[in-house]
Amino acid sequence: MMVARWASKGSTLLAIGLVSVVFLPVLPGLVRMGFDFFQISHWLAIWQDTQTIPALMATLGSTLISGVLALALSLSIAIEKYPSNAWRSIVKRLPILLAMPHAAFAIGFAFLFAPAGWLARAIAPLMAWHSPPDWLTVQDPYGLSLGVALAIKESFFLLWVMMNLLGERHIAQQITVARSLGYQRQQIWRSIILPQILPRMMWPFAAVLAYSLSVVDMALILGPTTPPTFAVLAWQWLSDPYPQLQAQGGVAALILLMALLIFGGLLRGVAWVYQRSTVDFDGVRLPNRVSIMSWLYQLGAGISFSLMILILIWSLAQSWFFPALWPDELSVKAWLNADFTPFKTSLWLGLATSLIALVMVLIWLEWGPQRNNAWLYAPLILPVIPLSAAQYFALLYLHLDGTVIGLIWSHLLWVLPYVLLSLVGAYRQFDPRLMLTAQALGYPRWQACLCIKWPLLMRQILSAFALGFAVSIAQYLPTLFAGAGRFSTVTTEAIALSSGGNRRIMAIQAVLLMLLPMLAFALAAIVSHWQAKHRRGLR
Amino acid sequence: MKEHAKKMNKFLPNLIALCLSSTVMANTDWNKIEADAKGQTVYFNAWGGGENINAYIDWAAVQAKKKYGVTVKHVKVTDASGIVKRIKTEVDAGRTTEGSVDLLWVNGENFKALKQAKLLYGPWAESLPNWRYVDLKKPVRVDFSEPTDGLEMPWGTAQLTFIANQTTVKNPPRSAQALLAFAKANAGQVSYPKPPDFHGTTFLKQLLLELAPDAKALQQAVSPESFRKASAPLWAYLDQLHPVLWRKGSSFPKSAADMNRMLADGELKLSLTFNPNEAANLIATQQLPKTAYSFGFSKGTIGNVHFLAIPSNAKAQAGAQVFANFLLSPEAQAKKADLTVWGDPSVLALEKIPVQYRQSMQMTAPGVLSEKVPTLAEPHSSWVAALEAEWLKRYGAK
Repeated sequence: MMVARWASKGSTLLAIGLVSVVFLPVLPGLVRMGFDFFQISHWLAIWQDTQTIPALMATLGSTLISGVLALALSLSIAIEKYPSNAWRSIVKRLPILLAMPHAAFAIGFAFLFAPAGWLARAIAPLMAWHSPPDWLTVQDPYGLSLGVALAIKESFFLLWVMMNLLGERHIAQQITVARSLGYQRQQIWRSIILPQILPRMMWPFAAVLAYSLSVVDMALILGPTTPPTFAVLAWQWLSDPYPQLQAQGGVAALILLMALLIFGGLLRGVAWVYQRSTVDFDGVRLPNRVSIMSWLYQLGAGISFSLMILILIWSLAQSWFFPALWPDELSVKAWLNADFTPFKTSLWLGLATSLIALVMVLIWLEWGPQRNNAWLYAPLILPVIPLSAAQYFALLYLHLDGTVIGLIWSHLLWVLPYVLLSLVGAYRQFDPRLMLTAQALGYPRWQACLCIKWPLLMRQILSAFALGFAVSIAQYLPTLFAGAGRFSTVTTEAIALSSGGNRRIMAIQAVLLMLLPMLAFALAAIVSHWQAKHRRGLR
Repeated sequence: MKEHAKKMNKFLPNLIALCLSSTVMANTDWNKIEADAKGQTVYFNAWGGGENINAYIDWAAVQAKKKYGVTVKHVKVTDASGIVKRIKTEVDAGRTTEGSVDLLWVNGENFKALKQAKLLYGPWAESLPNWRYVDLKKPVRVDFSEPTDGLEMPWGTAQLTFIANQTTVKNPPRSAQALLAFAKANAGQVSYPKPPDFHGTTFLKQLLLELAPDAKALQQAVSPESFRKASAPLWAYLDQLHPVLWRKGSSFPKSAADMNRMLADGELKLSLTFNPNEAANLIATQQLPKTAYSFGFSKGTIGNVHFLAIPSNAKAQAGAQVFANFLLSPEAQAKKADLTVWGDPSVLALEKIPVQYRQSMQMTAPGVLSEKVPTLAEPHSSWVAALEAEWLKRYGAK
């Protein structure tokens, strides 16, 4: 008995220790930036830089557009279609849209909307254009195109969150009842559904805002250039090894964090007003209206699928200059000469990171503390830049920058929370009687986990693993900072090539970038299907 | 007898060192370097934005592995000044031997910064076995008016070259003033990469050389006074140019490679490059239409030599020298000059190298700069930072 208790205590300590290794070293870096934060000279330097104000405006503008529009798009389609057959088919397409990495999305967006992009080519004959139009569709100074691209991409994420919330059965029943009473969809949502799901969407929405505030990879492709967005500016300062500018970059990163807090405060305010203004049913039945926004969501999804096809065509195109609608010749020549090193790097890095994260998460869920775990999700709702910079300071100090260990560790900070988030629900709902029975029959706890619990949870475990893999693949800043430029993954390679001239080579990396997460999810689905085939209860 | 042999054993090397020609000594030294290099990993920090260049470096890395057992890893750099500062930070932090950079592609102000801070290993360049092929008539011993002192090895030559398309531009502008007139006549279709992009800064320097009242002042280190005097006409020129640029100068192409793409699509009417052979290479890889051609300004364009240097804290100094020596070999230089590979002009003297390597250095193809454009010397390297800072202040946030 004594031994068992010690073993359990030891396992708990192990769980806490493992997770601490991922999180704790970030703190000294943050503290260091915190000291800089209170030095007036850095603020003065930032204030005196003529780039600061326009950069901040572009960042705040694109964040606002992204957040508000993404919420509007996803809400409107849910209001219009849930529950219905159309909803089911929309939801079925969601995983592919979610799996598409942001960087690939931005590259495709530029292929479609840039002045020399496919859209301009499509209408060039009508307008008699011989050279690309003077459009500001990408890299506009206000960050509008960046905001819209982010909004489309994030609307899929918010819709996915909503799907999970709406999946709870009683909501569908409430809608059915209210509809049978003759109320129109918008009315039902306004009075019953939104008050239930909006409060629970606060954190995911905050994650969208945090992402948009500090996004660098998409901003490099679609964002303004003179000056860039504030996140890009902060990153440029941070990666400048002059200590003065580096400290200034740290302060700028914390300014982004502050902006997030201000957004969060505003959000709370809006929520407060909203809760006081919910309208109850008043007996009036309004006629059904079709909202334009839901049509816009469909347009966004359509655009996203056409981006994928466009990227694929570009990777095969030989010469394809404006205003040609179709390449002169398709060929796999570029593929045969393609550089697959980034692909291999991404592959082993993603596998190693998600495997380590999975082991840690399983140990944490089984033996770690059961309460007060919310802080583990902090990296998901905080801007990437300050965290990544803090990691870099820690690695520099330990002489681990540019090493495999440092790189994997840096990815874990984001991979671990995602894996945990995706697994925690199913894990906590697991029927405790099964474990109790196994232990009563004499299995030690770890063996009961290996033989009973984890095989039964295999489907969820595999999909958490695939999600972790996808998160690792998409990391841009951590790879650059921690890798010290020595490791190029498909993400960093695609972004690096986006400033070059060869669209074919860039498209190849973008295709590989899209392919990796999709493969992971597909493989997870196949393996869990295959595993379930031999277990009657899992079918 | 044994005693005698022992004495001879000691004596012989001394005798060799004293009496025989220095080449033999160099050879033994070089043999030691080659032996040390075996098994080392060289982190070659070089600009990674051109896939033809990357492919060439990959090829060279395979050769180095095969021939000398040296593993070369290409660290793709976007801006060499970042690497200079990284070396500084490393040494300041006490990392004086285990540095992360072994070999660095560098020139101009970055070389000067490293040399001044004594962060370079050497002299080593002129004791390389392949130094004997180098064309000493080219400016291979000065870098932006700074003597190289054997601290860096010439790798290739470059000259600012403009590219246009025959179907849209029949008479290209051949001076700064003609360029301004051309931009006004083709509003929204001319631009340049945003400084501190390397090509963007070079474009500024080209304009500066032409517009400055006294071009000789540019060969001296910059001072606030000389900067104000020399650069005033440049800012007046840019104030006129920017309103008629692409997007009215509110944003700029990301790089020269980006401009080549925009030229191919007809979004811009001019592009620029630092490699007189690049247009030919881009035509061959179907990134530019066959009607693209190269041209220069009639009074000349900026030209220079680019170099390789080894930081003082490099971990694999022997490996870096062995790899650099290979890159200087007639075989590697001929491959580099090949228009279908990279097309970077060689630093070797044609008459010094074996005949079989001469052909690819004299290749010509559609798109190549076929006219004779005089080469202008780079301004003193201290002008770059001043120019970039002032540009960013004036036009960085529009």
